Amino acid sequence: MSPRRGNTAGRVDRTRTIRFSFDGKSLTGHAGDTLASALLANGISLVARSFKYHRPRGVLTAGIDEPSALVTVLKGEEREPNVPATMLEIYDGLVVVSQNRFPSLAVDVGAVNGLAGKAISAGFYYKTFMGPVIGPLKGTRFWMVCEHFIRRAAGLGSAGTAPDSSRYERMYAFCDVLVVGSGPAGLMAAKAASEGGARVILAELDSRFGGSANWSGETIDSLPAADWAADTVRDLSGRENVRLLPRTTVWGYYDSNGLAALERVTDHKEKPGKGEPRHRHWSIRAGTVVLATGAFERPLVFPGNDRPGVMLASAAQRYAAEFGVLPGEKIAVFANNDGAYAAAKTLRDSGAAITAIVDVRADISAEARAIASAVGGHLLLRHAVVATEGGKHVSGIKVQGFDLASRRLTGEARHLDADCLIVSGGWSPVIHLASQAGAAPKWDETLQAFLPPEPAQNWIGAGSFNGRFTTAEALAEGLSAGLRAAGGNGHPEAVPEVEHAAPFSEPAPVFEIPAKGKAFVDLQHDVTAEDVRLAHREGFISVEHLKRYTTLGMATDQGKTSNVPGLAIMADALGKPVAEVGTTRFRPPFASVSIGALAAERYGDIKPERLTPMHDWHVAQGAKMYAAGLWYRPQIYGKPGETVEQAYVRETKTVREIAGIVDVSTLGKIAVQGPDAATLLDRVYTNMFSTLAVNKARYGLMLREEGIAFDDGTTWRLGEHDFLMTTTTANAGKVMQHLEYYLDVVWPDLKVHVTSVTDQWAGAAIAGPKAREILATCVTGTAVDNATLPFMGIVSGEIAGVPVKICRLSFSGEMAFEVYCGAGHGTHVWEALVEAGKPFGMVPYGLEALGTLRIEKGHVTGAEIDGRTTASDLHLDWMLSKKKPFIGSNMLGREGLVAGDRLRLVGLISLDNRPLNGGAHIVEQVDEANPRHSIGHITAVCYSPALGKYIGLALVKGGKSRHGTRAFISDPLRKRFGPVEIVSHHFFDPEGSRMHG
Amino acid sequence: MVEMLSPLQPVWRPGSHGNFADGVGVVLSETQPGSIVQVTAWPGEEKTVIAAIRTASGLSLPDGAGGGIATETRAAFGIAPGKFLVVSEDEGLADALVQAIPINLGTVTDLSHGRTALRIAGPKAEWVLQKFFAVDFSLPALPVGSGVATNHHDIFAHIQRTGEDRFDLTIFRSFARAFWTALCHASEEVGYEVR
Amino acid sequence: MLITCPYCGPRDVSEFSYQGDGNRTRPDPASTDQAAWNAYVYDRINTAGDHKEIWQHSGGCRSHLAVTRSTLTHKISHVAFARGGLASVRPAGRDHGDHA
Repeated sequence: MSPRRGNTAGRVDRTRTIRFSFDGKSLTGHAGDTLASALLANGISLVARSFKYHRPRGVLTAGIDEPSALVTVLKGEEREPNVPATMLEIYDGLVVVSQNRFPSLAVDVGAVNGLAGKAISAGFYYKTFMGPVIGPLKGTRFWMVCEHFIRRAAGLGSAGTAPDSSRYERMYAFCDVLVVGSGPAGLMAAKAASEGGARVILAELDSRFGGSANWSGETIDSLPAADWAADTVRDLSGRENVRLLPRTTVWGYYDSNGLAALERVTDHKEKPGKGEPRHRHWSIRAGTVVLATGAFERPLVFPGNDRPGVMLASAAQRYAAEFGVLPGEKIAVFANNDGAYAAAKTLRDSGAAITAIVDVRADISAEARAIASAVGGHLLLRHAVVATEGGKHVSGIKVQGFDLASRRLTGEARHLDADCLIVSGGWSPVIHLASQAGAAPKWDETLQAFLPPEPAQNWIGAGSFNGRFTTAEALAEGLSAGLRAAGGNGHPEAVPEVEHAAPFSEPAPVFEIPAKGKAFVDLQHDVTAEDVRLAHREGFISVEHLKRYTTLGMATDQGKTSNVPGLAIMADALGKPVAEVGTTRFRPPFASVSIGALAAERYGDIKPERLTPMHDWHVAQGAKMYAAGLWYRPQIYGKPGETVEQAYVRETKTVREIAGIVDVSTLGKIAVQGPDAATLLDRVYTNMFSTLAVNKARYGLMLREEGIAFDDGTTWRLGEHDFLMTTTTANAGKVMQHLEYYLDVVWPDLKVHVTSVTDQWAGAAIAGPKAREILATCVTGTAVDNATLPFMGIVSGEIAGVPVKICRLSFSGEMAFEVYCGAGHGTHVWEALVEAGKPFGMVPYGLEALGTLRIEKGHVTGAEIDGRTTASDLHLDWMLSKKKPFIGSNMLGREGLVAGDRLRLVGLISLDNRPLNGGAHIVEQVDEANPRHSIGHITAVCYSPALGKYIGLALVKGGKSRHGTRAFISDPLRKRFGPVEIVSHHFFDPEGSRMHG
Repeated sequence: MVEMLSPLQPVWRPGSHGNFADGVGVVLSETQPGSIVQVTAWPGEEKTVIAAIRTASGLSLPDGAGGGIATETRAAFGIAPGKFLVVSEDEGLADALVQAIPINLGTVTDLSHGRTALRIAGPKAEWVLQKFFAVDFSLPALPVGSGVATNHHDIFAHIQRTGEDRFDLTIFRSFARAFWTALCHASEEVGYEVR
Repeated sequence: MLITCPYCGPRDVSEFSYQGDGNRTRPDPASTDQAAWNAYVYDRINTAGDHKEIWQHSGGCRSHLAVTRSTLTHKISHVAFARGGLASVRPAGRDHGDHA
């Protein structure tokens, strides 16, 4: 047992020894220890090197407000930097290394930065590295040279490069009452609300519920406060309407009472349980929030206030009472309020000697005076600490007289012995969440603290959060908040009685001691009091500017210990009261949140895979799958040794010569049903659908209101009131929303229902000169000859015992049929079709061949219907009905949409026999050095087996008028230049004789 | 009749998985109903359509948003104003509903192939669903029989509570495998059985 | 943000799609008044304060909703079906988290 480890009860289980390592050294602690308490118990107080000056730093706090003791946790190849040692629970096998030191924590060459302190004060980066080059050692270019060295010398821990193997999850939760914080106020609130029948969530960022009750040494309802808290938690955990969330930091307060919390589920475990996430991101929707988040103790700013061995008074008290660890043996106290006296008492009772109590005040309460005399040591009123002594640890302090009224030092400084200095500069309520929820905090001159604003959302504050710093007030406010939050349904019970209450007083308005030497405000970003004043002298008088210029409060701790002292020093420099200077608005997150938890797990791959009914068949046949939006579609069915181009050329040729089969299940399909279905279609399509006969299909074009082309596809009339609309794969969702919008908002009188049936139907298109013959061999129940199934006709039949609908339509320009069946039968029908095609030599074909066939035919897709083109740009003006209005009909004739120089669809043939690139520009005169004067761009490219050439579709100024002319590709990024001929987009069989057959 | 192929086939692994040492938290299954049908009433015809659903399926739907009913073989609930999802073990329900609901009352859309029906049951069913959907699945908020329409990012879902700790999910077939995989993954923590 | 769908109850904004300004009325389809069409398609009030807008509950019942939302505070003061004649039909027991 280390001499620093006392016998006090608390959270630490002394029967369980935990082994861990710190900077390669094997150490032990106990179950319940944080890394900070375990290191202190081992007599280790040098934990880190500081951000800028590489100064030795120790443990300042015992919680989430820790600015100094940041470490890196190693797990195999993975590393997690900047973890506060005060929040890290130790476990067997924990490996921790310190940060920002070279070569080691004890011997750090970077500490010379400390000597150059003046040179790297506030605004150093801006002054030195921004702006034009003036002289050799200035400007942005100089930054380029120095960056590497500075990045290495300044900073916090470095992030790892190994992938994070942990699992993260999201959880949605709903409750009537969310209680944030489980000190006496939070526990009372949770209890009262749950007794009122409310669904309660109690979130505590620590591993242990109870807050200050765990270390205050007070008595609640005749029990030691810690036991009272444990009993209350036991009671709550047995209630069905209460969910307890330990290790859960509520970090964001958003509108509609939506809160975000991070639960650290397994960070304290050697190994997570099977399937257990490391972190859980809770998205909580609460009826009422009870904010019982407590308060942070503030340090005082004086030279040497960052030396290891300087610690907040409440933290020292907590280490002694809750962890049974003494931060020193000869402890000095420095305070501006009564709170530190309770800490002194606890430390004395735990076995430490109190060497001195230094207090800036002239007078203290009788209670405090009684404690001071009981704990022994000098009581130095009207005094201040003006320096700490020692190297990497406090070995003594210097004190000097201090006049509160003038805030001037008096007399001579003298030395006092101490190996630890505990400090209290008053308390700041943890109002971050309330501030996030809206409205500005208010400065309270008496309490010398920012108090929460009036609620802008449905929350109730309780306890120290409200500036009610005594336990008795916390219990009373918690009870009342809980009752109110539950809607006043609970039975008011008696407020528990507090005995042996710790002394409390408002702090004297002292934040900084005006002595010579580096006095730190923000320990994490190495911002000194002098930096704040320098910023003021240089004209940064708004708090928001001050913050950004000095980076005060912008480190990972978000200035939990430094904001208020920083503002007070700024106010002093400005000669204004703090209330007038104001504070910066708090924004989420309250504390660090892992990115993994925010991303959480969706599908392993961010986007879910959307699969057609025949997906497994394609994969089994060696298809190379291609992601098209969320869908996976075969790109090619490559044979061994084939390139992608060879494969699609083979597939395309086979379609043109024999037949091919392609999976078209991804096409959007919408059931349009009702007595007014045809009317709706007449309004949304540019062409007429009410005249379409049952069992006939028609190609349709949709525009947006402003006359731009929107989507195209065929729509099948299956019955008088029953249409099956198909859309492009990419626009299925948009078209669905488009129809729903018009039916709900514009034409609510139309009796039409639309339903997405994309997934209801498996679709296979079989195309090629042999397609009809192949189909005839496997379809029963109907003929498929020209008379029974003419172009755009629909028949019903069966294939391999499965009902199918067959429509004769063509995207490829060949004789082609689309065969639809229930998705659950898709593979069955597909295999039957493939089997039927085998004797003929039919092949399956993928997206590349599909694209090649359509480019040869000059059919448009989303590459051409790109949200900018009109029907006439695409030579689809023949589809614009003159007999009826339709969406877009009133605006498509506008000047800009009919101008002669619009980009219009043409075909391109590569004249240098090299492939073309999609997206490449087209120019009249090529100038490789200075590409300019684009007349259009390429939308789609392929090698055309029918033409034996590389071809493409393009949108070019002037369109048809350029047919037969020569132009050039200008694609400087891909360094592709070369001549092309502009031709009609109908490359192949322009009369359509093949598909009409 | 040719059997419908499950979209889950290659990822279907019956048995216990995950952290099941202390028993399984949820049982996951694909219910493979014979019929999944959507019925939509014209405004003003909702009550007549509810009566017609009763005639065709024997299910007495309560009035009110999201209200529903579930038996061992059939279930139905409201998914939108005037819109109901009716599920049956038997095939051919769509035809029966078409008979019962002429075009002047509403429309019937057969989705038997287009949707995949999954079931999650067990003491941790609510917990697992709460990982996916921003909807309150607690019993008072979602009583037995009633259901919700919601989504998990791109995946749209109709979810009906068919027992105190049993939920039936109807999702688009093309997303079924991705969702099932995610559902299994999310259930590992509590231990799950596929059957 | 939380939108209380008249059918589904309060749901997270992630379930909804914004479908544009709710203050405009489409001209008669037969109208050739270019100014009227232009106003319908392009003109927006851009209110600072309560604004009527159309949202679709695309991740739920898919109804379009007429929502009155303050563009200054996000506070939603009114929600109804965009399609008239549909009564609000929410059952009791669905009120959790409803603070819109």
